[in-house]
Amino acid sequence: MMIIAGTVPDKAMPLAVGTVDADGDWLVVDGRSFPCTQGTGAMVSAALAVCDYLKLERPTAVIAGDIGEGKGSRAIYEHLIANVKSLAPEVLALHYWLPDMAQTKELCEAVEKCDTRPIMVADAASMYSAKASGMAPRFDVFTPDATEMAFLADPVATHPAYINRHLFDTDVTRTPDLIGAAYENGGAARLLLVKGAMDYVVRDGEIIETIEEPSVPVLEAIGGTGDTITGLVAAFACAGLELHEAAIIAAKANRMAGKMAGPTPATRVVEIIRQFPAVFQQYLCEWSGACCIEGGRSD
Amino acid sequence: MELFKRKKRLSADGDGLVLFADVQEALKAEKVLKKAGHWVNLVAPPPELRKGCDLAVEIHLTEQPGIERAFAEKDVAYLEIVPLREGCSELLDIVQLTDFGDWVMVKAGNMKLTFEKGSGVIVNTSGGGCPDIPLMHAELLGKTVLDAPKPKDIGFTLCALMLHRALEESIALHAVGDTR
Repeated sequence: MMIIAGTVPDKAMPLAVGTVDADGDWLVVDGRSFPCTQGTGAMVSAALAVCDYLKLERPTAVIAGDIGEGKGSRAIYEHLIANVKSLAPEVLALHYWLPDMAQTKELCEAVEKCDTRPIMVADAASMYSAKASGMAPRFDVFTPDATEMAFLADPVATHPAYINRHLFDTDVTRTPDLIGAAYENGGAARLLLVKGAMDYVVRDGEIIETIEEPSVPVLEAIGGTGDTITGLVAAFACAGLELHEAAIIAAKANRMAGKMAGPTPATRVVEIIRQFPAVFQQYLCEWSGACCIEGGRSD
Repeated sequence: MELFKRKKRLSADGDGLVLFADVQEALKAEKVLKKAGHWVNLVAPPPELRKGCDLAVEIHLTEQPGIERAFAEKDVAYLEIVPLREGCSELLDIVQLTDFGDWVMVKAGNMKLTFEKGSGVIVNTSGGGCPDIPLMHAELLGKTVLDAPKPKDIGFTLCALMLHRALEESIALHAVGDTR
């Protein structure tokens, strides 16, 4: 089972836990609907697309409304800390929330008590809190963009807004230097998928793959296209791919879906998410080398 | 005496410090922030950061914009909010532009805002990871850079503050028509 945890921008929504369903462009968890837009909604939608295509068990979402005040974030932290052992997820993917270093440490301690340790994936502010609390090495996958890579490389910053300006100014061609620095100072997960004009897949400090094609520069402007990559990685990892394979295929699939959507900077992420089934049908066999992937769920 | 009992050492959980000129304001700030739901810790500031009185409020730095707004609403006078980590840099003030033909993307820190050059209409925001960002994405899209709500006014986090900087730069660019 894969758990995706994160906030949604609806202040009135209480903590909701359950299997994700889709209703058009909306997602439904425990009877509560939220839009498939930038943030947790985009990540969940991408993961759902993988699970449905491969006929895997749909993700379980742990969501709560939060518009930055922190109440919903704390509810998610508390639920996970109390229940992660009994939930026993294979993949625990953390996303938008108000970063809290103490609660992140508590969650990591709770995860260590699981009978089988889940694959730990973090993006967005859950990646910020993982790095700021010194817990980054306990995570399996981070999916930073170029600025967030500079944040992971900065030994003292606790948020990307406070990174050293020399790191921020770094030319993208120096991303490998930032990757090295992040591993040196304990700011990186075991595997990094660094999103950018060139995507880097890094395992234990070693760059093992770069992805540049198809090149769709406007994707950087479209809110949610980083979130979808993380959802894809988490779902492919849950499907049994090695983490680096999951990251490589996720990067390729996201680019290809972007290309197929024919985007402009005004495109919405939902238009890209709609392309995933066609991308998987056309390319997943070629990219994964496993052309007879069969899932376990029957509809 | 009670005051001295309440003063604690810095915890490992906060990463920012609010400095005050006098003790009463620090105590008032603690009360205001607790009521607003923020995590706070009343502490003695380390000597290298000390300004004004010897009482400070430890905070989560990510919540800085929401904290500043709470202080403004409740008339709490403070000297400065500073990062706690030794060697931590100041808030990023660099802005980068990417030209997409009819659109320009303005990047401030981890946040990006893209608007149409001619109309000034915001067509996308991306980046960040704090919970107020998806709401601001929805609030800003379709509005012109002049009409859009200010992230600093409706957001609570450093991601919102970076988006605010991107919007301010976009307003300046649109005003002079310089979106190369």
